[in-house]
Amino acid sequence: MTRAATGKLRVYVVVAGVGLLAALALGRPELAALAAPFAVFAAIGLAVARPVEVKVQAELEHERQLEGRLVTAWLEVTATEPIERLELLLDLDDGLEPETPNPILIRLGRGERRELELPLRCQQWGTYEVGKVVWRARDAFGLLVYEGTAGERHWLKVYPHGETVQRLLRPLETQAFAGNQVARNRGEGIEFADLRPFTVGDRVRRVNWRATARRGEPWVNETHPERNSDIVLFLDTFAEARRDDLGTLDLGVRAAASLAALYLREKDRVGLVSFGGFLNWLTVASGTTQLYRIVDSLLDAEIMLSYAWKDLDVIPTRTLPPRALVIALSPLLDERAVGALLDLRARGFDLAVVELSPYSFVPEGKSDTERLAYRLWRLRREALRSKYASLGVPIVEWREGVPMEAVVEEVRAFRRHARVLRA
Amino acid sequence: MVAAAGLAAYPAAQDIRLQPVALWLAVLGVFLLALALVARSPGGIGFALVGLGSAYAVLFAAEGSHLDRVTPVYAAGLLLVAELAFWSIEARVAAWSDPELVVWRLARLAMVCAGAAVLAAVVVADAAAANGGGGLLLEALGVAAAIGAVALVMALVRRSTVDSGA
Repeated sequence: MTRAATGKLRVYVVVAGVGLLAALALGRPELAALAAPFAVFAAIGLAVARPVEVKVQAELEHERQLEGRLVTAWLEVTATEPIERLELLLDLDDGLEPETPNPILIRLGRGERRELELPLRCQQWGTYEVGKVVWRARDAFGLLVYEGTAGERHWLKVYPHGETVQRLLRPLETQAFAGNQVARNRGEGIEFADLRPFTVGDRVRRVNWRATARRGEPWVNETHPERNSDIVLFLDTFAEARRDDLGTLDLGVRAAASLAALYLREKDRVGLVSFGGFLNWLTVASGTTQLYRIVDSLLDAEIMLSYAWKDLDVIPTRTLPPRALVIALSPLLDERAVGALLDLRARGFDLAVVELSPYSFVPEGKSDTERLAYRLWRLRREALRSKYASLGVPIVEWREGVPMEAVVEEVRAFRRHARVLRA
Repeated sequence: MVAAAGLAAYPAAQDIRLQPVALWLAVLGVFLLALALVARSPGGIGFALVGLGSAYAVLFAAEGSHLDRVTPVYAAGLLLVAELAFWSIEARVAAWSDPELVVWRLARLAMVCAGAAVLAAVVVADAAAANGGGGLLLEALGVAAAIGAVALVMALVRRSTVDSGA
């Protein structure tokens, strides 16, 4: 706690001093009468002033909340001395917006305990530290000001809001375990695949009696089995394009969280590779626990400047299981990420690139030179996109405000018509 | 500003020999106060108060030796102007979560102004009672008392500005 004199105290002392000395110099008691209230005011104010200590206990309604939702912070305030004017400021990071005015101004009596409610809007995904309160109290005469901090820290995790996708992107090959996806190969399942002549060992229940009657010999149905698939979300955290409220990393995190939730709901196994200055990974797994692991890991994702060259060799092998679909979320701004994705394709991974468009975050420029540079930069990006497409990698630009459904459909359309190259 | 204008009007409106000087000082005091409020400067308020007090002092120089009966009201008004001015330049808070805080503060301000008027009246009455007595010894005693009072307040200020370290 710190204590300091206000400007008011200094002014009152000076006015009192000037008045009293002028009264003596001019021999006029009226001037002393004008100055005396200021001197007495300052003297009484300082004599009765007592140091105060404010205690604040902060609590949060939830430890986790979704982006865009409200979470309430409760402050319980007590003080050692009565305070006529107590300002409380709940220290909030960018991304948490108070719905009611912050700071709060209250009057606190001796021994009084006040409970204050402060609804906070979770504007931006991330992990926030909430509960630290900066307080400022003035004495009753406004001559001294006391300042300090109080409160306990609490962590609030704000999860990114989900995107709605009706049909998910499916990998070219499925895994061995049961799931919700119809496999391309044939085996025990429900989905009809084809007809073939009866062979020894076929079960009678598979006989297609209509085809058998038409052809005069037993024919059986072939089916596609239902299998699960492995999905690896590859998040590029080397670089991002950003303005104040939004950046390509935000788009990527929101997309990754949404896709993880949707794939895990379909009983698929999902893993995460956060590839950037700081490498972070989660091996593929299924279930709700894995969803929380992934989302918590995404909350820690941040752009960390690094000049170290990194390629796929730094990623543990088991993080990228064979026959997995790798969905890369990248603004394609860093050569290392671009090279790693090409390397993934060269190693035969089923890869789809969602390009987090940086165009809305980068102004075109005003001068001719700037506009020319901008056009060249866009041309280079077009060339890079063509390079991916020529390798059979579907690459779709995802712009701010476009639903993810459209992106997924575009990738599906590419995969329907493109000829897949195998390494 | 209204209170300051009211205070400034009193010496400026008097029909005295130095009326232009009083008027000039009164206008200067109000102008300085307006500037201080716009600039949110405590020092500016101090200059404005001195300006208003100086305008009042011109009245005595012109009027001669008899005591002014309005002094208690002027003293209370000067303190009211100072308190309201410092209230105006306090850091703005988005909302008053306690509505009774304003009422409580206004009531306290009224009490302080009433106390200032009483104190000024006591000083003036005391001066009137002692008028003609005095002499060099009493004047020297007054100088010492005034310097001592200011020094005492300064010492309290210095002690208060030191961080408590708690």
